[in-house]
Amino acid sequence: MFSRRSLVAVFALLSLLALSPSARADATADARAFIQKLADTAMTTVAVKGLSDEERSKRFRALFVDTFDLPEIGKLVLARHWRAATPEQQTEFLKLFEDIQVYTWTRRFKDYGGETLEILAVAPEGETDMIVDSRIKREKLEPVNVSWRLRNKGAEGFRVLDIKVEGASMAFTHRSEYTSVIQSAGGKVDGLLDAMRKKAAQMSADNTAAAAAAAPSRAN
Amino acid sequence: MPAFTPRTILPRLVASVFALALVAGCATPPPADDKEAMVEWEQVNDPLEPMNRTVFAFNQAVDKALLKPLAQAYREAVPPYGRDRVRDFLNNLRSPIILANDILQGAPDRAVQTLMRFAFNTGFGIGGLFDLAGASGIPYHDEDFGQTFAVWGIGEGPYLVLPIIGPSNPRDGVGLVAEWLGDPVNLYIDRVGEDWAMWTRSGLAGIDKRESLLDTLDEVERTSLDYYSAIRALYRQRRDAEIKNSLGEKPTPGMNVSSAGGLSNESH
Repeated sequence: MFSRRSLVAVFALLSLLALSPSARADATADARAFIQKLADTAMTTVAVKGLSDEERSKRFRALFVDTFDLPEIGKLVLARHWRAATPEQQTEFLKLFEDIQVYTWTRRFKDYGGETLEILAVAPEGETDMIVDSRIKREKLEPVNVSWRLRNKGAEGFRVLDIKVEGASMAFTHRSEYTSVIQSAGGKVDGLLDAMRKKAAQMSADNTAAAAAAAPSRAN
Repeated sequence: MPAFTPRTILPRLVASVFALALVAGCATPPPADDKEAMVEWEQVNDPLEPMNRTVFAFNQAVDKALLKPLAQAYREAVPPYGRDRVRDFLNNLRSPIILANDILQGAPDRAVQTLMRFAFNTGFGIGGLFDLAGASGIPYHDEDFGQTFAVWGIGEGPYLVLPIIGPSNPRDGVGLVAEWLGDPVNLYIDRVGEDWAMWTRSGLAGIDKRESLLDTLDEVERTSLDYYSAIRALYRQRRDAEIKNSLGEKPTPGMNVSSAGGLSNESH
């Protein structure tokens, strides 16, 4: 009994030792491929010239929801307030967060074109995450350093948990900002949701106005 | 000697900041038994928030009325080629300060880079107007006394928004003063009594900086719920990366999201 169990343990250990280097190499290659595909998809579907704003934001949303781990980002960003929030508040927060990100990036992607992404390094971070360091090269402008934190979701593959642009983490920045808003609302998550609703509405209106200004012939 | 020399302005600036701190008061820390709130309070590192917000609002007003329009006019009037010459020239003027800090940080490789760039660009680059060294593979890097103090292990102290200058902290503020008083180029200008050159340089550097940030700051303002705290978070992370010289270079093995207080998995 004892020897069989230890034999199993030894075998398990051996197979783990044998497997882990290649498994790690696979994970590194997978993370690299994931980011490369994400960048390619963004450039070929979202950053296309001549798209209507509606179509562009639809495409960005599809890509964003598909490749980012929104619920996990929500937890990171709200931190301790996530647990204090009711399930309804959590759901609404995620929805508004998604909307604001979509409005933010749809407008940015409109000006993109000709950017290429170069992957500099891939390294594991903790048990479940990978960090992919990349550089986005732009025409006539300084390149931008972007570091991606990916979470391995097992069968689902990788999902983006955070982006660091020139050393500034998106999740950390949002957390700091949202915490501040909650604080000034007397510690109430509702105060944040209210501010987010207003922001989303304003950004949506701004994007529509910018689209109308860009196409005056259509307005006439 | 005109009244507006660096030596007469600085004490006034410092005095007015302290006066403001007294009037605006401090932020209230959370109760000590609320551990998570305490961690958050320490991460945010902004006990002078009420005063900082006041100065921030003042800066925004000055920016809207003066600095941003100036930067926009500069972008409109001067083509990219001309703006590049101005930036290269200003960067080259910073070489002595950067060299001093490279040495003080114990970075001989970077010091040699700075020295070679200075010699090359000042000579062949016509007084620094053309960054020929950068084009031939010796890239520009910036350093300042605040970064050197950080490398020496001096903490940043509380977040501080300085009038006009913007996001800072006591350590970087002292670094700024040291630089302002100790910059060889400024000292030389001071000695020959051509004060206008110092003001022109500072003014140009300010407009160049603001122009380079036009799009970024507009974006942050457009997309943030609270511009003040977004800038605070961005500034501190950016500064952290500058100190570690971690941008555009080989990533250090231990790099993770938890710098500047960053992300830990405390959300579960």
